[in-house]
Amino acid sequence: MKSAFKKRESRSGYFFTLPTLLIVFSLIIYPLGYAIFISMQRTNLISEWKFVGARYYAELLTDAEFLNSLKISLTFAFFVVVGNFVVGLLLAVILNQNLKFATTFKIILMLPWLLPEVVVALIWKWLFNPTYGLINYILNTIGLIDSDVSWFDSSTSALAGVIFVATWKGYPIVMIMMLAGMKNIPAERYEAAAIDGATRLQQFRHITIPGLRPIFLVTCILETAWWFKHFTVIWLMTSGGPAGATKVVSISIYQQAFGDFNFGKAAAESVIILAILLAASYFYSRAIRNDND
Amino acid sequence: MTMINEKKYGLMSDVKVARKITNLTSYSVLLFFSALIIFPILWIVSTSLKNEEDLFSLPPQIIPENPTLHAFKQVWIDHPFLAYFRNSLIVVSIATFISVTFSAFAAYGLSRFKFRGHGTFMAFLLASQLFPSIMLLIPFYKIYMTFGLINTHAALIITYVSFTIPFCTWMMRGYFDGISKDLDLAAQIDGAGRFRIFRSVILPLSWPGLAATTIYSFISGWNEYIFALVLTQDEEMKTVPVGIGQLVGEYRIDWAQLMAASLYALIPLTVIFIFFNRYFISGLSAGAVKE
Repeated sequence: MKSAFKKRESRSGYFFTLPTLLIVFSLIIYPLGYAIFISMQRTNLISEWKFVGARYYAELLTDAEFLNSLKISLTFAFFVVVGNFVVGLLLAVILNQNLKFATTFKIILMLPWLLPEVVVALIWKWLFNPTYGLINYILNTIGLIDSDVSWFDSSTSALAGVIFVATWKGYPIVMIMMLAGMKNIPAERYEAAAIDGATRLQQFRHITIPGLRPIFLVTCILETAWWFKHFTVIWLMTSGGPAGATKVVSISIYQQAFGDFNFGKAAAESVIILAILLAASYFYSRAIRNDND
Repeated sequence: MTMINEKKYGLMSDVKVARKITNLTSYSVLLFFSALIIFPILWIVSTSLKNEEDLFSLPPQIIPENPTLHAFKQVWIDHPFLAYFRNSLIVVSIATFISVTFSAFAAYGLSRFKFRGHGTFMAFLLASQLFPSIMLLIPFYKIYMTFGLINTHAALIITYVSFTIPFCTWMMRGYFDGISKDLDLAAQIDGAGRFRIFRSVILPLSWPGLAATTIYSFISGWNEYIFALVLTQDEEMKTVPVGIGQLVGEYRIDWAQLMAASLYALIPLTVIFIFFNRYFISGLSAGAVKE
């Protein structure tokens, strides 16, 4: 009797889940497999299909330019993720105190998440404009610079610039996730700690941080993946320049595929990114689990 | 909890002063970051209201001296933004509808039933966020080319569904988990079938979750850039972000029109956000916190 019930239950489970499972399979798994197939071909996707095996992988892993764009992607993702966490966590802690006007601030602080990346990139491009931009004007007025700075002509300031803009756009999601995590920590724990005379800082260290650990892990993985493969803001602000200083892997893939029509090599680059991200998320979850024990 | 401290240590005034200082610091931080968010947005508005001369005047005018709505009108005439908006609305509405419907079904299945492959599927939904979307660009491009779908709404709809369905399912599943299974059981005892329970008992209780997934998938689609850039080449088929992005590639950038177009692009987002905002954080949290 019980097993018949179980069987029926599991059939209902399939009934509800199957359509999405099919969509996921045909729109994600199949194309991913197809990308791996393409990465082993020399192809223009139309007439030319020539099997080259692992040649592109071998080429890429010794190609200084590709390795450099990997390094730029890593640097970019690292600083954006750290920036998002610092700003997002700080704001979440403050908003969680239920101060007056907290809701108003929360809505304002969430706005960047709502704005399209295209709009964010272009408004900052305009603000950073060397001659007519507001930023140089303000810095000039308060005396921090004495001539107009072309932010995106120097490789360091160009990379710093796109990191700043990406952080401006990206911290709200961390803030929301952390707020959600804090809401789930039972208030009694804080009350108990307060009775024992723990300071705010101690409470934060010993209750908030451990309570946030699971959502911290998920957010960390997602954030790293999102920013490691980021394209739009950088493409619209610098197109990868100056002299390749902001050419992250996504831009490299885009140019390889739709500029040089070298689809096989571009696909190989994307498979390498996938491998890196999978490895990174494995290490993250290991690290956090060890930390827990 | 401050009350307790006060009673125990009799440090009433000290504690009050300390709390005032903390509050002051908190407000300063909030104000600083809010200003950092608000000023660029006001700069969009200010720029969009400038005429050609004021746009490039030195020093930059913070408040335009000769405010004009010219750019808001001209942008429709100089560029096919009407078509861009039509395309974006069609593609994103249909994709959102499909994503939310299918993910609600799947999430209910995942929340209420145990079956083989259950755990794997959940893990895959999260892992799919790791796949570089750019990795799908080339296979999608090839597949759409084979089926003659380049330059069609269908291509973008399919693409956006594939982007949003995993995270939507994951979020909805967390939401359903928060609804007591006793409700299902009670309805089952009354003789309702599984589908009936889902439709008449669970769904009506799930508005916050559905609202959150709707916002998430609408915003993702409305703001998406690179796939729309690659998959549409006809002016008539492009979407709003591609249209706006194109303005910057022109020889002489008309910043007023660009900012006016950006403000138009924000209208649907603002409407959705105002209507659904209060559901959003609760809905998203439910999905994000549970694993």
